[in-house]
Amino acid sequence: MSGHEVLTLSSVSKAYGGRASLIEKLFGRQPKSLQAVREVSFTIRKGEVMGLVGESGCGKSTIARIAAGLMAPTGGEIGRAEKTRQQMIFQDPFSSLNPRWRVHDIVAEPIRTHRLRPKNAVSARVGELLTQVGLSEADGAKFPQAFSGGQRQRISIARALAGEPDFLILDEPTSALDVSVQAQILDLLRDLQARLHLTSLFITHNLPVVRLMADRIGVVYLGELVELAPTDAIFRRPRHPYTRLLIDAAPDLDAKDRSLHPIPGELPDPSDPPSGCVFRTRCPFATEKCAAERPLLRQIGAGEVRCHYDLDLTGRELAA
Amino acid sequence: MTAPLLEVRDLSVVLSRTERDLPVLDKVSFDIAPGEVLGIVGESGAGKSMTGVAIVDLLVPPLRRSGGTITLAGDRLDRLTPRQMRRVRGKRVGFIFQDPMTSLNPVLTIGRQLTDTMRRHLPVSRSEARERAISWLTRTGLPNPARVFAAAPHELSGGQRQRVVIALALCAEPDLVIADEPTTALDVSVQAHMLQLLRDLHEETGTAMMLITHDLGVIAKMADRVAVLYAGRLIETAKTQALVTEPLHPYTAGLMQATPAPDETGVMRVRAIPGSMPGIGAAPSGCAFHPRCGRAQDICRQTPPPLADAGGRAAACYFPLHREAQP
Repeated sequence: MSGHEVLTLSSVSKAYGGRASLIEKLFGRQPKSLQAVREVSFTIRKGEVMGLVGESGCGKSTIARIAAGLMAPTGGEIGRAEKTRQQMIFQDPFSSLNPRWRVHDIVAEPIRTHRLRPKNAVSARVGELLTQVGLSEADGAKFPQAFSGGQRQRISIARALAGEPDFLILDEPTSALDVSVQAQILDLLRDLQARLHLTSLFITHNLPVVRLMADRIGVVYLGELVELAPTDAIFRRPRHPYTRLLIDAAPDLDAKDRSLHPIPGELPDPSDPPSGCVFRTRCPFATEKCAAERPLLRQIGAGEVRCHYDLDLTGRELAA
Repeated sequence: MTAPLLEVRDLSVVLSRTERDLPVLDKVSFDIAPGEVLGIVGESGAGKSMTGVAIVDLLVPPLRRSGGTITLAGDRLDRLTPRQMRRVRGKRVGFIFQDPMTSLNPVLTIGRQLTDTMRRHLPVSRSEARERAISWLTRTGLPNPARVFAAAPHELSGGQRQRVVIALALCAEPDLVIADEPTTALDVSVQAHMLQLLRDLHEETGTAMMLITHDLGVIAKMADRVAVLYAGRLIETAKTQALVTEPLHPYTAGLMQATPAPDETGVMRVRAIPGSMPGIGAAPSGCAFHPRCGRAQDICRQTPPPLADAGGRAAACYFPLHREAQP
């Protein structure tokens, strides 16, 4: 690794199940397994925010867990920069904070665990962190139950920052919040990003949120990374049909043009994915080749796309 | 203008406590015309779901209705006995909840639930109900309706279940459907399908709809008119297009700006509203929004602003934005 890369995933896969049960062994059946993540490769460089976007069950949270080292992949390799200090922020600010601990102790824990400050300086540091995330020093004496969802997420952020991370993983950090509270947390995260030059992996199903936060975006469908490109390119010139359809499917605030754009079909059963390209059962441009051959992730324009074709050339009528 | 289908006047709901009652909904008034889609928008705790639940008298203690009138096609719903109310629910007012499993009985087949609903409310024979049930399942776009008819709820996917719930809400041909966050638990791609389905069936059946959501995008695409709730009060109503382009109430404007969206040049913008909505019983004096409002004056801190009607749109604000937009 060149030193600018904080994390590299090379062809990482994760399968659940797959171990034969007694009955399957007796009858010589193949055990049923579920490929949650399949040959996902990407690199996160120092100082950048990488976004992962996709619908529920697509595998993005599994990728986050693998990236965080909370889960071992069943295939592929992970490269980490040496001595990377890593922290994670979760979606649910109600279950991710210990209700029996005071906020002060919650935020102090990473400092104590990693011995980042001498004992007598821990309290001052906790106060500083609480102020930094928009809470007050006095809030440290309270229990998490005393706070609203948005404030709890501020506590989670303070705890993550307490570990002085080089790399932050955020798994749907604003999805449980109301829109006005979400805006406050996004503001806070952007401000911290600008001041602390954090490197982060930002996972969400919300396209406007990831567009606001990320420098580069990976689009995940049925366990595969189907497109990876700079944020601007993803939204201005998506090259994978799924990316295009996903962008169009979210209703915007335009009340004049009321057309809706559902993605055709339904998500296939992840334990029985389609042959060839995973998206072909819903793709308006699918050909015989798409059923026969699994497309490789290839370079197109500023990004990488797992598609036999280039939407920019084939999909003008769809984009129109 | 035709007579409204639903007239809600000064609807108030309180949370009963031994010491004192805490206001949850404070004198909420609005109309829904026949066939109209009224969007109810607001943040968690603003009282949007409570409004829907109070209309069909499904409040659970310690919540109770403390005042106001509810008139559906000339009938005072607030005066009905519980027994009469049961006949209104399902027959005249259909419900779609966020979590499909709250509307479905987990141990009965989909077909049984549909036919039971229709047999209770409509003069149909068993075989006719069965036929209609299959037809409803077909209209909701479910693949293999005969299989779904015989299936239990757990055998269907989340999106399929929500389609069944929509069929169940509409099968007794109600005049009004109350849809409470019908697409919030769904993914973007499924959400668009469900909105399309709701729109198609709405156009087909001509039923009026009260669409409760926190998602302004859903409002922009679906609602004819919008009512904005804040801390249990109705603070603005307007036609959807007018509300989205020229909100009068600073809170409505703040809500729009807090939704991340690209500007004309494609740069993403988001602006947070400082502070947070007061909880139940914690509303400040005067306008409940004044501590978060950049335009607040002394009067805003003292007297709650009335919802002043101005040519089909109204805002409870002494210093509304886009003043020139008001006739």
